[in-house]
Amino acid sequence: MPAISVDTFFACSLMVLLVLSAMATTSKLLYPHINNTVNNSIAEKYKEISTYLLLNDGTLSNWGQNSQKIPETFGLAKADSDNPYELDIDKVSRLNSENLYAISYAQIFTALKMSDISFSIEIKPIFEVAINLTATYAFPNETIYEFQILTEKHGVPVRAELKFYVVAENYLETSYVHVSDGRIYLNITLSNDVNGPALLVTFAKAICNAKIMSFGVYAFAHNSVEPKQKGTFLRLSPLNYTLNASLVYSGINLSKAYALTINYNSTLAQTSSSNQSITYNLSHFLDSSPTLIVVTGWNSTVFFTEWAAYPQIPLRTGVNFEGLTTLSNVFANTYIVTINLALYECTVWVGGPEE
Amino acid sequence: MNKENKGQIRTIEAFFAVLIIFSSFAISANLTITQTITRHEDLASMGLQALVKLDSDGNLGKFIEDGNWTAIRDALNIILPAGVCFNLTIYNEQMQQINTEVISNGGFSSQQIAFTEYICASQGTVFCCYIIHLHLAVAT
Repeated sequence: MPAISVDTFFACSLMVLLVLSAMATTSKLLYPHINNTVNNSIAEKYKEISTYLLLNDGTLSNWGQNSQKIPETFGLAKADSDNPYELDIDKVSRLNSENLYAISYAQIFTALKMSDISFSIEIKPIFEVAINLTATYAFPNETIYEFQILTEKHGVPVRAELKFYVVAENYLETSYVHVSDGRIYLNITLSNDVNGPALLVTFAKAICNAKIMSFGVYAFAHNSVEPKQKGTFLRLSPLNYTLNASLVYSGINLSKAYALTINYNSTLAQTSSSNQSITYNLSHFLDSSPTLIVVTGWNSTVFFTEWAAYPQIPLRTGVNFEGLTTLSNVFANTYIVTINLALYECTVWVGGPEE
Repeated sequence: MNKENKGQIRTIEAFFAVLIIFSSFAISANLTITQTITRHEDLASMGLQALVKLDSDGNLGKFIEDGNWTAIRDALNIILPAGVCFNLTIYNEQMQQINTEVISNGGFSSQQIAFTEYICASQGTVFCCYIIHLHLAVAT
C-alpha cells in the first residue's frame, strides 16, 4: 500500500472519530443545560404560584373564619394585612385534617383553578421542642418526673426561654421562665392526690427574637393508665376564636378547658353544648405565641386530657410527592410567615408533569 | 502540491477540526450562567425575606443600636434554612461599617454568592438609617 493511502486513511479515521466523539460529548454537555433552561422557567413559574398562595387572601377574603364557606379562589394571606407573608390563623387551621372544618385537597385544587399542577403545604414552628421523660422518682406523697427538653433546629441547639404548664384533673401548674442553651433538665413534682394522665405543655421563645416561638406537648401517666393517643376522646376544632370539641364517645363528660400561651392562660367558658359537641369561647391574647388549648374530661371512669394548637399546626396537606419526582417536576420553596405575631416556617411543594 | 504531501494536509485539517470542536466545548461551558443567576435570585430573595421578618417589629434596628451582633447572627441562623452560609455587614448613612464583630456563620466554600441589600430604619427617638449588606451562599 502506498504511503499516501496510509496517511489518508489515518487522517480520515481521525476526523470521523473526532466528529463522532465531539457530537457525543457536545450533546452530553448541552443536554443538561438545555434541560435546565426549561427547568428554570418551570421553577420560576412554580415559585410564583407558591408566592401567590401566601400573598393572596382568596375569595371570599374571610373564607377561613366561616366554617361553612369554601373558597372560590384559594389564598392563605390575612385579609387587609400590611405585612407581607402574614397568614390568616383560621385559613391555616382549616388546612389541618384534624379540624372538623378542614377543607379537602379537592376543594383547594378546584379553588386554585390550575389543572396542571399539584401541591403540598407544610407549616411548622421554625425550631423544634423535643420532650423526653428520663426518670421517675416515686415517694409516698408525691412523684417526681425528670424531663429532658431539647430546643433545636436541624440538630443545632437553639437558645430559648422556656415556660411549662402541667395539666391534670382539676390541676394547672405554671412554672417560672427557664433559660436553656438547647438542652435543659426539668423536675416536675406531682402530688399523689392528683389524678392523671398529666400533660406537660412547653413553650419556647428564641432568645434572639421574641417572635420565633415553638412548643411541645408530652402526655404521661400519673396515678393512671398510660395516656391514649391524641384524638381518642375528642376532636378539637378551633376556628374564629371559638373551640368546637366533638365527642368521639357518647358517655364523655368534659370538666375543664384551658387556653395557654407563653405569657397568659385562662380557663375557657362553655358557650353551648349538645350530645355531640361542646363549644367554648377562646380568649384572644395579644401574645406572639400560638395558643395551646387543653380540654380535660372523663370517659366513664377514665380521665383524659386532649389538646390542640391554635393556629392548628404543625400541619402538612396536599399531595405526597414521594416517589413521583421521576415522573414530574417538583419544586419546593420555603418562606418565613407570620401568624398572629409569631413566625413560622412554611414550605410549599409545587409539581407538574415533566415536559 | 506534491502528490506525496496530500496526506499531511489532511492531518493538518484534522487538527483544525480538533481546534474547532474544542472551541465549541468552551462556548457551551458558558451556558451554565443561566442556572447560576436563578440560584442567586432564590438565595437573595430568601435573605431579603428573613431581614424583612426580623425588622417587622423594629427588633433589627434595636439590635443594631444596642450593638447586639450576636443576637442578629443567632436570629439569622435560626431563620435561614440549614446549609445556607451568610455574612452580614451593617453600614451607617455615610457607608461606614458599624458592626464591630463579624456577623457570619462560617466561611463561604461556594463560588455562587448571592447578595441582598436592605435599608433598616431605627425606631429610637433619634432617627437613624442603616444599610445592611447580606451575602449568602449554599454550603457545599
